[in-house]
Amino acid sequence: MICDEVRVRLDARVDDELPPAEMVEFDAHVGQCGDCRTLQERKLALRNALARELPQFEAPQSLRHELEEAARRAAGESMRPTRTPSRWWALALAASLAIVATGSWQLATTRANGAMLTQTLLESHVRSLIGEHLTDVVSSDLHTVKPWFNGRLDFSPPVYDFAGRGYPLLGGRLEYVGERKVAALVYGRRKHVINVFIWPADAGMAQGPPAATRHGYHLLHWNQTDFTYWVVSDLGTTELGEFAGLLKDADSAAATAPTRQ
Amino acid sequence: MRDPHDAEDATQEAMLKALRHIDQCRTDNARPWLFAIIRNTCHSLLRRRGTTVAEVSFDETLHSQEGEAGQPDAILIRDADRESVHRALATLPLVYREVVVLRELQGLSYKEIAEVADVPIGTVMSRLGRARERLEFLLGGAAGKEGRK
Repeated sequence: MICDEVRVRLDARVDDELPPAEMVEFDAHVGQCGDCRTLQERKLALRNALARELPQFEAPQSLRHELEEAARRAAGESMRPTRTPSRWWALALAASLAIVATGSWQLATTRANGAMLTQTLLESHVRSLIGEHLTDVVSSDLHTVKPWFNGRLDFSPPVYDFAGRGYPLLGGRLEYVGERKVAALVYGRRKHVINVFIWPADAGMAQGPPAATRHGYHLLHWNQTDFTYWVVSDLGTTELGEFAGLLKDADSAAATAPTRQ
Repeated sequence: MRDPHDAEDATQEAMLKALRHIDQCRTDNARPWLFAIIRNTCHSLLRRRGTTVAEVSFDETLHSQEGEAGQPDAILIRDADRESVHRALATLPLVYREVVVLRELQGLSYKEIAEVADVPIGTVMSRLGRARERLEFLLGGAAGKEGRK
């Protein structure tokens, strides 16, 4: 690829819309061309600024009520009743206000922070796969992995082994999310790697969406018994959901057990 | 829409329209469909108010800025504060602003944006490219006094 070919693909590259073969050629060129790299850095910088500063809108309560009222009337007139209106409205409202109201800045940054957090964890996951740094402690023994975090973190992350269910423990490592040290536990499923990021639920970190798919990776997120969980993998959503279920069950079992390890 | 009341009106109208025509939503993915309704509602409301929504080109201004003020700086762009980002976005003509919002805020793919805006994917790409270029110049300290008052 020459510079001109790279430059018309800059946007597609940062948006992950390039076919894989072109992406390889693109990255190879940018790796050795300072000018094109500068242009790409600028694009990424802009995406950063927008992700952080674009306003998120919440529908005012009054509008919500008006719409629900109007929807009821409309549903009364039409043949088919609306299904589960409340959830649908909430989603649609948030989405629509976001697009229509650009310019009247009611600022709510929580979701933007959530989006950044999602991105950060995704990057950690991908980095852990391409580098050497998948695990700091390599062991399928939870009694090796769990104590390893002692003195390295200000909390003791729950560690389980689901080898019997086809999700063996592979190890763990330290990760930074923003300024905070968090635990990353690595589980496997066939050839797939699952990263589980854990930190105390009261750490004052941003929350994210319960489920997200980015660049072909799936992320699941929940809070349970003192901890915030993020699970990231390229595994299909069904299996990843099953794995998340195992974690949740194990955690609630541990929480109700008379003595906690 | 800029004005919160206009935004609420547009939302209400669009949602009712969506509800009435929900049986026409044939895809599994309702988001582009819904956004298309919202977008069209906004455009027609704006048109009723006499606002121009036609595609406006800003190439001339961009090129003259490029000539006299040098290259935008990635660090400045990355650290741009909220107000500058908003001001820069507000200078974009509507059809450019909407692709940026759909992409960066809503995370729609090019294909979905094309569906929403009812234009070919190539047009989405070129609008996004030019919108970003413009924002980079405004935020990156290369747009002279106009961009960084």
